[in-house]
Amino acid sequence: MATEVIMPKVDMDQETGTVVDWIKKDGDNVKQGEAILVIETAKVAIEVEAPATGILQGISAEVGEELPIATVIAYILEPGEELPERPSQKPPPITRSEEMPPKSEPAPATPLAKNIAEAQGLDLSRIPGTGPGGRVTKSDIESLVTPAGLDGKAYATPAARRLAREERVDISRLVGSGPGGRIQAHDVLTAAESTHLGTATTVRPSDVKVIPLEGMRRTIAERMTRSAQTAPHFTLQIDVDMTRAEAMRVSFNAKGDVKITPTAQLVKASAWALTRHPFVNAKLVGDEIHLLPEINIGVAVALEEGLIVPVVHRAEQKGITEIAAELTDIVIRAREGELTTRDVTGGTFTVSNLGMFGIDRFTAIINPPESAILAVGKTVSRPAALNDDGDIGLVPTLTLTLSVDHRVLDGVVAARFLQDLRGAIEEPGWLSY
Amino acid sequence: MSKVKAKKKQKPPITKAQAEEMIRQMYLIRAFEEQAEKSYMAGKIHGTMHLSIGQEASAVGSMSAIGRDDYILAHHRGHGLCIAKDADLNLMMAEFYGKEVGYCRGRGGSMHIADIAGRNLGANGVVGGGIPMAVGVGIGLKQQKEGNIILAFFGDGAASNGAFHESMELAVLFQVPVVFICENNQYAMSFPMHKIATSERIAKFAELYGMPGKAVDGNDLLAVRKAVMEAVAHVRGGDGPALVVNDTYRWRGHSKSDRNLYRTQEEINEWQEKDPIRRFKDYVIKEGLLSENEVDAIKEKSYDDIESARKFAEASPEPSVDTIEEGVYAP
Amino acid sequence: MREITYLEAVREAMTQELERDERVFLIGEDIGAYGGAFGASFGMLERFGPDRILDTPITELGIAGAATGAALVGMRPIAEIMFMDFTTLASEQLVNQAAKIRFMFGGNASVPLVLRTAAGSGTGAAAQHSQSLENWFVHVPGLKVVMPSTPYDVKGLLIASIRDDNPVVFVEHKLLYKTKGPVPEESYTIPLGSTEVKREGSDLTIVATAIEVNRSLEAAEQLAEEGIEVEVVDPRTLKPLDLAPIVASVKKTSRLMIVHDAVKIGGYGGEIAASVAESEAFGYLDAPIVRLGGRDMPIPYNRTLEYHTVPQVEDIVAKARDLVKVRV
Repeated sequence: MATEVIMPKVDMDQETGTVVDWIKKDGDNVKQGEAILVIETAKVAIEVEAPATGILQGISAEVGEELPIATVIAYILEPGEELPERPSQKPPPITRSEEMPPKSEPAPATPLAKNIAEAQGLDLSRIPGTGPGGRVTKSDIESLVTPAGLDGKAYATPAARRLAREERVDISRLVGSGPGGRIQAHDVLTAAESTHLGTATTVRPSDVKVIPLEGMRRTIAERMTRSAQTAPHFTLQIDVDMTRAEAMRVSFNAKGDVKITPTAQLVKASAWALTRHPFVNAKLVGDEIHLLPEINIGVAVALEEGLIVPVVHRAEQKGITEIAAELTDIVIRAREGELTTRDVTGGTFTVSNLGMFGIDRFTAIINPPESAILAVGKTVSRPAALNDDGDIGLVPTLTLTLSVDHRVLDGVVAARFLQDLRGAIEEPGWLSY
Repeated sequence: MSKVKAKKKQKPPITKAQAEEMIRQMYLIRAFEEQAEKSYMAGKIHGTMHLSIGQEASAVGSMSAIGRDDYILAHHRGHGLCIAKDADLNLMMAEFYGKEVGYCRGRGGSMHIADIAGRNLGANGVVGGGIPMAVGVGIGLKQQKEGNIILAFFGDGAASNGAFHESMELAVLFQVPVVFICENNQYAMSFPMHKIATSERIAKFAELYGMPGKAVDGNDLLAVRKAVMEAVAHVRGGDGPALVVNDTYRWRGHSKSDRNLYRTQEEINEWQEKDPIRRFKDYVIKEGLLSENEVDAIKEKSYDDIESARKFAEASPEPSVDTIEEGVYAP
Repeated sequence: MREITYLEAVREAMTQELERDERVFLIGEDIGAYGGAFGASFGMLERFGPDRILDTPITELGIAGAATGAALVGMRPIAEIMFMDFTTLASEQLVNQAAKIRFMFGGNASVPLVLRTAAGSGTGAAAQHSQSLENWFVHVPGLKVVMPSTPYDVKGLLIASIRDDNPVVFVEHKLLYKTKGPVPEESYTIPLGSTEVKREGSDLTIVATAIEVNRSLEAAEQLAEEGIEVEVVDPRTLKPLDLAPIVASVKKTSRLMIVHDAVKIGGYGGEIAASVAESEAFGYLDAPIVRLGGRDMPIPYNRTLEYHTVPQVEDIVAKARDLVKVRV
């Protein structure tokens, strides 16, 4: 019996996936559970496993193709089986044109849109679709239906919705600057400007290398722009004496087995300091500040194609060795494209370390919806006062730069946090208090 | 031999032609109302209607005192007044049936039939609604100086209403050419007006306000005609308004939904004995104006005319929904 | 151009029309020797005589009915109901008769009357002499409703109303009578159903009627100093409403506030708000549509309380700021 291989849904509000690579080819034998292809969503690249054992046949999705979730893209057949008669249900490839199906037939809809419409009692045939093949998508529904506090729906003004339709901005991803988090026209226009980078049609000299802003790059561009423009950032710096921390790390690693890294130490110290300063572990939702109970620290990891921030969940409950082991594992999986959704969501605070690239100090942009981010530089031996008697010596010094969202935090709160953080790093014993 | 002085016979105050015309109109009214009732009971009429069977003399007698160029304003029990003002029976019946060719393009119905060209400024669904307007018409006619007057009909119920009293004040103040005619049929709707007001009392109101007022037997066509002619002469003479009260009775209930619980069958029977048509018929025959055959022929023709009007109305088309908003505003 | 008061403009309009058309006449209480409760017909009895200036006893229903009947036979009466509060007494003739006669009679008749009345609060006349009931009459098919805010507008619109073949309810806000403005000496008309932009702006549209037009313009001056440019739009005729300039304005500014003296709940502002929301301006709204109107209470006698019952300049300024600064 033929088993369908479908474009899977892995994210909550994912509507499409893009084929990145077929690991197995048409005609290959595959085993159930074996990875057969890689797809990419807005958040992650994921390996898709074979749902059955048999022969992979009838691959109908090409590399680079973006398809709605639940689309059948291949079959796994038993030996001797024929490919099933499949009515051409493969949708036309997604283009940037605005062609819609003739009005005489009801336009198709993405499965998510169908679910929403059914739950809301909406007539899909009355909603114009802007998705592939004129499909009605979730944002099509959202731009027509006024939200009533339902999860995932955009609270936006009519002008914002119209502009979102015209500028093809996904309104559901925006954070509004109006009362109650209402998305205003201004928010959409701002988002639109930042996504127009790749669509200029000016004539370029032929030796300019053009990289379309897609996938991860595009996501980063949108999120960082949004963060920079909606959260008023201000930064604080503090120099930390790393003598004791380094000594502790060296002696522990000499023991053998798990090795702890400076990053792991910083994550632990941050988690400790965050428990004492809840406003730094907060997020702004509309006009409410939510102080979050869990401390999930994201650690920025550089990849070839960009930046990803895997999250250590409940860092306040984990020891440094556990954190270190987790970080090692995460980074390996990140570099190999094997992160899961949980790995990259739920963060409440981020640590970004460019010290290994020789950077003394830098300022990071807050990772929305968080309220603060810690930028870590390189530990450098600097001359400093050793005591009050005027003796000067070399001290391994690390500069920490904290960027905070001024809507949530003021200078004093942030400063106190940094002081505690420095304390926890300089006096490792503090961590047990 | 004794000579007995022969009593000089009074000549009837009307000619044969007038007698024909007036009895014809009375029969037309009676026939129309009876047909209206039949059509209604056969389910062909939307809404309700207010029949004036028994009040024919009041309508015909009053109308016989004015000319074509004079105006009338009527009340909701106005079919008879309309016919007496020489309405086209076809157009009237068609309006009653709500048809496009009716006097009001089917938009007015029984309570709002108006023949503007014929100077019938319309029946009125609000008790007393036409009285203040009559004052205004009077003001206009006076300004226009063409010598025309208006008969303003209303019922005994309206005589209690504020509109009546304000209108009396203004009518006298502005000395308008209006003959106010109250058709007192003893009941407002079910309220027995005769308990608080007789026709004489209503006539006295007029005098108190400053205009002549007279009450007459409304079922005696010639009495009505005489009283209204006197009032019309007063008004045409530039001496201001006048009031006539015709004491009469309606045989049917107020409207179709009236179950006559407020009066007795005896009372109805008693008044039916005073049938105005029969009384006038007896009179014209006795005075030698018309023979019984002539009267019967007139009656038959009247009923035939109404029957034609019925057929005309039933065959006429309904208004189209495409024209639904026409006629609300003047361009 | 010479400047005259709103009241003088009313008188001039009536005088010029009585001179031009012998079918026009006035009827109302105390309009003769007294010259009208507010002075609108001052001197007109001497000029036109008692046959054209009909002074009546206290008979609002009678006045409205007389006007209706006279109009029915081709006259062009201007009836004055001293206070809009008393249109309640005249309503039967205005609503059941004048408004409906043309339609009920299949379009075969017309009632070309003007019913002028003084409305609005601010003179200490208290609850029974201060109402603004214009929306009642907007709600009656067959009537036109006009509510001008300037001397120039009132003269042109009153002449146009007198020449209109429909029954027109012509509402004059009492506080406007003494306001002055440039008015041409010759006779002129302003078409009914023509909205006017009284002040251009780009940040917020304010649609206002009668005295609130004046207050909105004053508010606009204050707001301009804060860098907020308000566009003030005056419908002038409430029915038929010329919606297009309002829609164009809201498309331009993305924000709409409606201000009237009449009570907010069930008031005419709701009609404008819904009409705009139904129009293509909907897709340009970047903030909720906001209405300012009288509180849901009778007008109090006490001067301070009376002041705070209806929208004043500072109320308009405060709300405009909230709208433009996205606090609504």
